[in-house]
Amino acid sequence: MGDHIKEDAFLGIDVGSVSTNLAVINVKGEVLAYIYRRTQGQPIKAVQQGLKELESELPGDISILGVGTTGSARYLSGVVVGADIVKNEITAHAVAAGHVAPEVRTVLEIGGQDSKIILLKDGIVVDFAMNSVCAAGTGSFLDHQSARLGIPIEEFGDYALKADEGAQIAGRCSVFAESDMIHKQQVGYGLEEIIYGLCQALVRNYLNNLAKGKDLLGPLVFQGGVAANSGMKRAFEAALNTEVIIPKYYNVMGAIGAALLAHESMMFEERKTNFKGFAAADFNYKTSSFSCGCCENNCEIIKIKVDDKVLARWGGRCGKWELDQANRRRDTSGVSSSV
Amino acid sequence: MKVGYPQALLYYKYFPLWERFLGGLGAEVVLSGATTKNTVSMGTIAAESELCLPVKVFYGHLLELKDKVDTIFVPRFVSVEKKSYTCPKFLGLPDMIRSINDELPPLITPKIDLDKGWREYFRTIHELGSNFSSSKRKIFSAYRAGVLALRDYHNQLQAGSTPIEFLEKKKYRKVKKTGLKIGLAGHPYNIYDTYTSMNLIKRLREMGAEVETAEMLDDNIIKREAARLPKKLFWTYEKEVVGTVFHWAHTHSVDGIIYVLSFACGPDSLIQVILEHELRSDTALPMMSLVVDEHSGEAGLITRVEAFVDMLQRKKMAQLC
Repeated sequence: MGDHIKEDAFLGIDVGSVSTNLAVINVKGEVLAYIYRRTQGQPIKAVQQGLKELESELPGDISILGVGTTGSARYLSGVVVGADIVKNEITAHAVAAGHVAPEVRTVLEIGGQDSKIILLKDGIVVDFAMNSVCAAGTGSFLDHQSARLGIPIEEFGDYALKADEGAQIAGRCSVFAESDMIHKQQVGYGLEEIIYGLCQALVRNYLNNLAKGKDLLGPLVFQGGVAANSGMKRAFEAALNTEVIIPKYYNVMGAIGAALLAHESMMFEERKTNFKGFAAADFNYKTSSFSCGCCENNCEIIKIKVDDKVLARWGGRCGKWELDQANRRRDTSGVSSSV
Repeated sequence: MKVGYPQALLYYKYFPLWERFLGGLGAEVVLSGATTKNTVSMGTIAAESELCLPVKVFYGHLLELKDKVDTIFVPRFVSVEKKSYTCPKFLGLPDMIRSINDELPPLITPKIDLDKGWREYFRTIHELGSNFSSSKRKIFSAYRAGVLALRDYHNQLQAGSTPIEFLEKKKYRKVKKTGLKIGLAGHPYNIYDTYTSMNLIKRLREMGAEVETAEMLDDNIIKREAARLPKKLFWTYEKEVVGTVFHWAHTHSVDGIIYVLSFACGPDSLIQVILEHELRSDTALPMMSLVVDEHSGEAGLITRVEAFVDMLQRKKMAQLC
């Protein structure tokens, strides 16, 4: 083993509301291994399990030179694994899409509880939009409907493809969509038509909410967990009247983007990675929260500890509890007077 | 006499004027303080649900003042220039407030209506001053001092200071500049209220971006740019937002624009479309609209702002390479 040259690699972790994805890429940006699993409301456990699985899947000897985290649990997972860069999921997805297909102009992304559209030009983001508070039309809603209809979500697409035409379903709001679907079932529509109709409604909702006033130029890429649903691809192609490409690693694009960003940042600044190694899978992390109570804002502060050592705190408006910013702010006495 | 002054809505536009004026007449001006979670929750409970966030915040400030002062200053702003009006909610503010169940101290509600001309305006000022002094000379000399204070305030803003720094004497930490300049558009009570905007200006500066707002621009430029609209807008303050964004769109003097608007704002919902239309073309400046209301989560805002700044930065980097 000793005389074996280790391959340099970068790890990206994307922890979202529904899925937790990990990907390892080499310096050429090729994917060496990846994991897609459900978060199941336990982001730390999901990351640790993911690390374990990933370690067993990785080929031969590699050394991780940098780690990036993204997704709604990016700060939390960043602390858990020791991330070198923590980035928002919009940038991560855009970087990944631009890397996989540099000529891409439009990225349609639908995840567990969010959806976004990213417009690129020469591999650079020029515009983006993200759904607001409403999660209608995202993966969670499809999950919920698959459970209600008793059809596994993996088979949703096959049903939708069998339909000649979709049933008209109101997709503006998931509550209305559901009552509309029940109505269509009661009057006798087939399951296939209803499922394809649902896909069409979600696509309509997506285009109305996010693509409003934007020119969607090709090539178009559709990624995120929902891209696994071939019915959604069909509905997008019908609505946009053009081909929609689904990249090979459509469901781990966020993780690939985070790994690419880690690579980029480690290249620019010569430093050693903070990565805690795959052993981080066995650390005993504990989180807790408390109300600050120092001012009327009563911020809720989240604390993460390993054994008895506090690793990080966040959640405050004024920043007085944040540990990792200690070098940036030296005065920790009372509530900061700066805005 | 203790006069309460809610630190909300047009506070960011005119506070130095009224503070100096009322203070010059012997009144003790008491501010309600910066907006907190408590202010918003009190305001949200007291106000009708259809009202916009800034008015709900205003209600919260009234409730915070009510037991601390003898009277609260709530001017009725009808118009601040000829043939233009303010938002209907400013016109009806003193009336809407009457729906609050809690007992408020008596209100001072001068009607500011410049469309009716200066003579009428000065009569209002005299009437307002008469609450505190019987000397006409004293009233107008206090008013003049107020006008000078307002002018000084405007000069400070044009020099690049924000109302937060000037009015609240807060300093921004110096941060490493990245050469990025972001135009921040929207009503002053949305962008300068550190609670409503979730500290947006501070966040942007910490990300290394320079922030420019309408208050830092020359009024004449804003007016000229707003005049490019085929039809004149009814509302003065919205005209300022449009003129500012048009100026940036025209000159490309910033790298990108963030437009903050409140969810239930009628005028904002109309000008948002005008602005998006103006910035639609492929070569236009990127603009991101951020909608705030009392349910807005900080996480969503941070994600969007970070992504927007990343986008501008990566674009700049790509242009350099």
